Amino acid sequence: MAILLMGHPNVGKSAVFNRLTGANITESNYPGTTVDFTEGYTYIDGKEYKVIDVPGTFSTDPKDEAEKVALDILAEHEDPIVLVVIDSTKIERGLYLAFEIMERGYKVMIALNMWDDAEKHDLSIDVDQLEEILGVPVVPTVAISGKGISTLVENVPTASRVDIERLREKITSL
Amino acid sequence: MKLDPEERWRLIDRVARETVEYGAERSTIGSVLAELTVKPLTGIPFAFAVLYGFWGFFDAFAGFFTDGFFVPLFDDHWLPWIQEAFPLKGSWLYYVLVGDPEAVNSFEALGMLTSGFFVAIGVVLPAIVAFYLVITILEDSGYMPRLAVLVDTVLHKIGLHGFAVVPMILSLGCNVPGVASTRTLETKKQRFMIMILLSVFIPCGAQLGVMLSLIPEYFGYIMIYLVTGFFVFGWVLNKLLPGRSPEIITDVPPLRTPTIANVSRKLWVKVKGFFTNAIPFVLLGVGLVNLLYLGGVISWIANSLEPLFTGWFGIPKETVAPLIAGFLRKDLAVAQLSAIDMSGFQLITSVVIISIYFPCIATFSMIIKEGRKSGGVIRVLGGGLLTLVTVVFLWGGLLHLIGILLGVT
Amino acid sequence: MDYGEKGVIKEIDRDLKDQLLGRGIREGKTIRMDTKQPINGPVVITIDRSTTSLGFNLAKDIFVEVENGDTSNGPS
Repeated sequence: MAILLMGHPNVGKSAVFNRLTGANITESNYPGTTVDFTEGYTYIDGKEYKVIDVPGTFSTDPKDEAEKVALDILAEHEDPIVLVVIDSTKIERGLYLAFEIMERGYKVMIALNMWDDAEKHDLSIDVDQLEEILGVPVVPTVAISGKGISTLVENVPTASRVDIERLREKITSL
Repeated sequence: MKLDPEERWRLIDRVARETVEYGAERSTIGSVLAELTVKPLTGIPFAFAVLYGFWGFFDAFAGFFTDGFFVPLFDDHWLPWIQEAFPLKGSWLYYVLVGDPEAVNSFEALGMLTSGFFVAIGVVLPAIVAFYLVITILEDSGYMPRLAVLVDTVLHKIGLHGFAVVPMILSLGCNVPGVASTRTLETKKQRFMIMILLSVFIPCGAQLGVMLSLIPEYFGYIMIYLVTGFFVFGWVLNKLLPGRSPEIITDVPPLRTPTIANVSRKLWVKVKGFFTNAIPFVLLGVGLVNLLYLGGVISWIANSLEPLFTGWFGIPKETVAPLIAGFLRKDLAVAQLSAIDMSGFQLITSVVIISIYFPCIATFSMIIKEGRKSGGVIRVLGGGLLTLVTVVFLWGGLLHLIGILLGVT
Repeated sequence: MDYGEKGVIKEIDRDLKDQLLGRGIREGKTIRMDTKQPINGPVVITIDRSTTSLGFNLAKDIFVEVENGDTSNGPS
């Protein structure tokens, strides 16, 4: 089974990848550090998962060669779990990508990365409520320090598909 | 089921209103600095300061280790020892491995175990460490995209946009990751242009290191000539090539303090890569050239190319040997050049030609790999070689002409 | 729109809209112009908490109502 790490450029996907797999790939603070994918493996409850660090992408409609690589990877894997990594301080546009992926019918879970930045900027996110509304696991993380990674791992088996029709009704009736 | 974008945003805004609470945005030292670095009035002087700091650090660091530590170590201890201790003096093996038994410095001995080791470890290693340390800090701090914004206007004139500065900076470390990072540029035209321009005109960290420590007095001239070439041929390529040159759209991340853990981890990966990938090539280059010398191949090539070298470029025919080594490693080629007896202007010309005549083999294979994604290998290589030959003849010949006009040849 | 100013995005040119949607730049959002570079260089804008840089020719296709009530397009 494959876990695809997807998200905008420069949200810390590579850092999450390194934490999950114990690998050592390059992390930098500029969009487009990862232009090719990297694979690694992790074991959760004795089950082997292939983890793939996908190049950053803003939407499921590719704009450059690195984004094309990202969407090819998404298309290649049969029924993967997509772990959408979001920069907590830019949660709205992160959710936009998450929605696009959910609409395509993939199993999704969300990591709200750079959680420490959000706290620093006086930004509070009600994680439980968000999880309840979306119906997928949502975990705050700080990948460079490793915070939240174990919770993330525990939640991998509960990643789930979203019924968009129902989600729409639920959000509209909030 | 798919939503249309308007509806998707409507739902997300709704969700965000329920679950996200924005406090007041505060100005911190970081956010103030972040803003100052992209404002032209403060950002441009800041960029120059960063660049200057880069060189200052590089010079001090590499100078300290090379001149202060490795030169005495190799010249006073290693060289005399190996000249004596290695058996078979006078044999071809001695010539290939140790070189000149009378040489008094490791640099002119020209053997694999003498000059090869000295160039690789004594000169290039400190340069690589200094370079990658700075590049890593630039990467991790989030300064790169800011630089991209500042230089966008200039790069726009040659059909590239500001983000092309990322491959350029990475190339100052090594052209290979530079070429790989062209993938974030949107159009085939941009990717082709920057791939060719940087592999032709941007010397890598190893070559810069050798230049700075062996021929510091000419370093400025060589760099100015190469950078001018970058823009002149960029401008020409932009006019000639079909295709779009889109405008920049890039995120500007907040500035962060690089963590020691991440910086040292990246540095370690690079240094390890240098030992496993680069050092064998340097030694191989020295060995190959020595063997070709012994076999008479070099003097044969040198004699047949003499009219071109002395007539067109105005450089001695002996520069053929470094040019051959340059296929493997440019740093080694520059080191070998500076051991040849010629005038200052000839040295400048030959170092310029070494830089532009052909990418080193590692860069070349990366171009083949990336070319597949940028319009096909044949088109990229064909176009690339055509550009290359034109550049070498025109830009190399022009330098000779300048020399004649200045009366220095 | 001048730097330091804030405004609300009224309209984005059709072609550009698709490119910017994923980045959270959309109609109805409050935008702050951080800087603009000289000689028609790129502008830097902030929406929510994310900062983006846009080429001049793109930015001029974004129509913004500046907070003092005037409508202006991009970096005028």
